[in-house]
Amino acid sequence: MFCSKCGAPNDDRTWRCVQCHTPLRAVPPHVAFDPPEVIPNYLWRAIVCTVFCCVPLGIPAIFYATQVNTKIVRGDLAGARKSSKRARMWCWIAFGCGLAVNLFYAVLLSILFNRVR
Amino acid sequence: MQTFLPTKLRRADRILIVSVPAALVAIAVGVLRVFNPATAWFFPPCPFRALTGYLCPGCGTLRALHQLLNGHVGAAFKLNPLMMVLLPCVGYAGASDALEAVFGRGLPRVFLRPVYIWMLLAIIILFWIGRNTPLAARL
Repeated sequence: MFCSKCGAPNDDRTWRCVQCHTPLRAVPPHVAFDPPEVIPNYLWRAIVCTVFCCVPLGIPAIFYATQVNTKIVRGDLAGARKSSKRARMWCWIAFGCGLAVNLFYAVLLSILFNRVR
Repeated sequence: MQTFLPTKLRRADRILIVSVPAALVAIAVGVLRVFNPATAWFFPPCPFRALTGYLCPGCGTLRALHQLLNGHVGAAFKLNPLMMVLLPCVGYAGASDALEAVFGRGLPRVFLRPVYIWMLLAIIILFWIGRNTPLAARL
């Protein structure tokens, strides 16, 4: 097969001319084979934060988890991704605050405990 | 398949990321099995309770886990029934995410309809309010 543009000889199986890169045949359509996207709602982490952190900040995280699944059901994937990020953010806030408050409290208590003794 | 960890991470990094929390959980289980948070001095009481005088939804979780790890399921349920109900679900989801991070494939996913998550939220808030009423002391 000869290239229609520069006339260079090409193998029959090539898609583009080896010399000038002009397409020799129609490029095959790209076959989309993306598995369905999983948008995490971070629900289990939100529950852990609610039940373990002593600071009820896991509640907003659970609220955003409901938003993620609501939007997935409605087909609003962009909105679901946004809510997913918010859910993750609140999980970290709840976790961080829980850790900070508990550590602070533990240190405070141990100081008081030693003073009393 | 999109996972909760970026797919471009090397497998060794993923294993490390998962093994640190796993090790912390294992240590916590060991400590909680041996020491009772109700009597051991190094467990701080709930800050929310200390500050407001009210129980939070998570109050009693550590004491309940101690009872559970020593085989006293009934006592664990009395200390925090909400945590006991949610523990298997959280365990399943957590294990699934850990497996997915290491092997690229988790346990079968359950898509919760939004109604169920709303119900869960309502249950947690009702439990929170309910356990602070005199009614809870009678149960």
